[in-house]
Amino acid sequence: MRLVGYSTGAIALGDFSRALTLLSGYDFQAVELSALRIAEVEPLLRALPSLRLDRYKYISFHAPSSFTEDEEERLVSLLATLPAAWPIILHPDAICRASRWIPLASRLAIENMDRRKNTGRSVSELKEVFELLPQAMMCFDLGHARQVDPSMIGAYLLLKTYGERIVQLHISEVDTLNRHDVISRAAEMAFFQVRQYIPKTAAVILESRVQEKDIGSEAEKVKYLLDGIPPRDIDQFRWTTYHDKTVMNGVPSI
Amino acid sequence: MAVNTIEDLATELGADWPFIVSGRQNAKSEIERIRQACEPLVLPDTSLVVFGSLARGEFTDASDIDWTLLVDGITIPQHLTVARQISDALDRLKTKAPGRTGTFGNMASSHSLIHCIGGEDDTNTNTTRRSLILLEASPVGDSDAFNRVRNNLLKRYLEEDLGLWRPSNTCKIPRFLLNDFARYWRTMAVDFADKQHDRFQEGFALRSIKLRLSRKLLYISGLLVCFRCHLDFPEDKERIKFFSRDKSVEVALYVRNLLEKTPLDITAETLSRFANKPKPVSEMFNAYENFLGILSDPLKRKHLEELTQEKYESDPLNTEARRISYRFRDAIQDIFLSSDNPIGKLTIKYGVF
Repeated sequence: MRLVGYSTGAIALGDFSRALTLLSGYDFQAVELSALRIAEVEPLLRALPSLRLDRYKYISFHAPSSFTEDEEERLVSLLATLPAAWPIILHPDAICRASRWIPLASRLAIENMDRRKNTGRSVSELKEVFELLPQAMMCFDLGHARQVDPSMIGAYLLLKTYGERIVQLHISEVDTLNRHDVISRAAEMAFFQVRQYIPKTAAVILESRVQEKDIGSEAEKVKYLLDGIPPRDIDQFRWTTYHDKTVMNGVPSI
Repeated sequence: MAVNTIEDLATELGADWPFIVSGRQNAKSEIERIRQACEPLVLPDTSLVVFGSLARGEFTDASDIDWTLLVDGITIPQHLTVARQISDALDRLKTKAPGRTGTFGNMASSHSLIHCIGGEDDTNTNTTRRSLILLEASPVGDSDAFNRVRNNLLKRYLEEDLGLWRPSNTCKIPRFLLNDFARYWRTMAVDFADKQHDRFQEGFALRSIKLRLSRKLLYISGLLVCFRCHLDFPEDKERIKFFSRDKSVEVALYVRNLLEKTPLDITAETLSRFANKPKPVSEMFNAYENFLGILSDPLKRKHLEELTQEKYESDPLNTEARRISYRFRDAIQDIFLSSDNPIGKLTIKYGVF
């Protein structure tokens, strides 16, 4: 059974405490602590001892998506204080000097990027990063991969090439303005086409920016999409028809 | 030695094809020249795509540059400005402008390419652009938009080809794709007659030899890509397993990888692997080499371009060109219309009727 949960940034951007409180009402087994802005790192690290995280079997930490070269060294030393078992999610375009990250390399999970970035989007672009940090793992962002190539051929290539590195999956809609949103029907159909290549061992972290009332249903949708686990209230889901293979991409299956 | 390219085949056959080799070198350096001039102009969600001899790797000094600015994303008015800037940049490079049909030298949207396959809205221009994006196109600089369009085109052709996914169907020829390639080949042949009508036979002899060789090779390469879907999997069980619905993305990637080769390379590789007929294969490419030899000579090319209909039968150069085309045709027929080899069998079964 996959470990599924949310990124705190998706539930309450910049407010990990509120996000964890909201998530405590559900039985998620995974969580990503998000510090997408550099200013969020130290408050989150200071708060860690007081956070109730023991219910989670998988915890990761999302490093800031942008920092200066001057901030990088201090950031690496701060992240080194995190529990060793927690993967650190890192955007490849944020790296200033790869050599600084080498001590943390085996704990890093490099994320594939969206279209606005000029690196880290494809197999060849990520190859350059993994050559610099060969011990690094990967966080596969399904929404980013679909945004880069809606045919999902690019996603398949990433999964085939880096499958063994993938420790975490990010899943959400990523719109044309690069915003993470609730998974659309088009995204469901696209994700469905590559679900069998996603390692079962990878923790699933939702980045869908959901309203509080939709936290549970969005996660149920993802479980059904990836593993065919029926939602508790199956009737509320409009997308069930294609999942049993009666319809795929609008085309009846044979 | 496994033959993957036309150069590999030359080595295997002990052949010397200098015009084929120089065509590829010329194309590479010309694409680089265009990239340097145009790459800064191209906006996100667009790709500058070249077609024709440049994309096929058969470029000569007298070749024109067929190009389009392919838009795959939010359409903005500035796209037209960029297309004009590209045109100006290519003029400054003193390249030969594209033909006058309007198919090239401007911009194209992915929407009609992907959604209008067949039916009333699939215009001649749309068919041409779509077929060439699959068969003889090369992005210059940022290839993201081009790759997305090519991938999505293939997914349409393959996923909507219902027979392809039926386990009871052991022959995995993507017929939707094959039929569109065949249609495009016939479209080129009919357009040849139309141009003859419109242009009072101007350029007739040059267009004729191009139709008989490079355009025909384009169709052959498309046909062979479709055949490879079947031939690359010798065991029925293995083939049926690969062509299962839940692997549609893998199948699309498989076909895309085949189409990434130039028509000369895919033809050389496939015929070497499956035709088992070195003599006609050798003759086919010898004829093609001779054809490129004529096109590479500016004087001969100009001569054919300006040849009048009255001198068509008596002109020695045109007679030589026609003989080359007959050798090419006969070699093709020996391979493709004989049931003594797998490619011939598939052509007779799927490529004629």
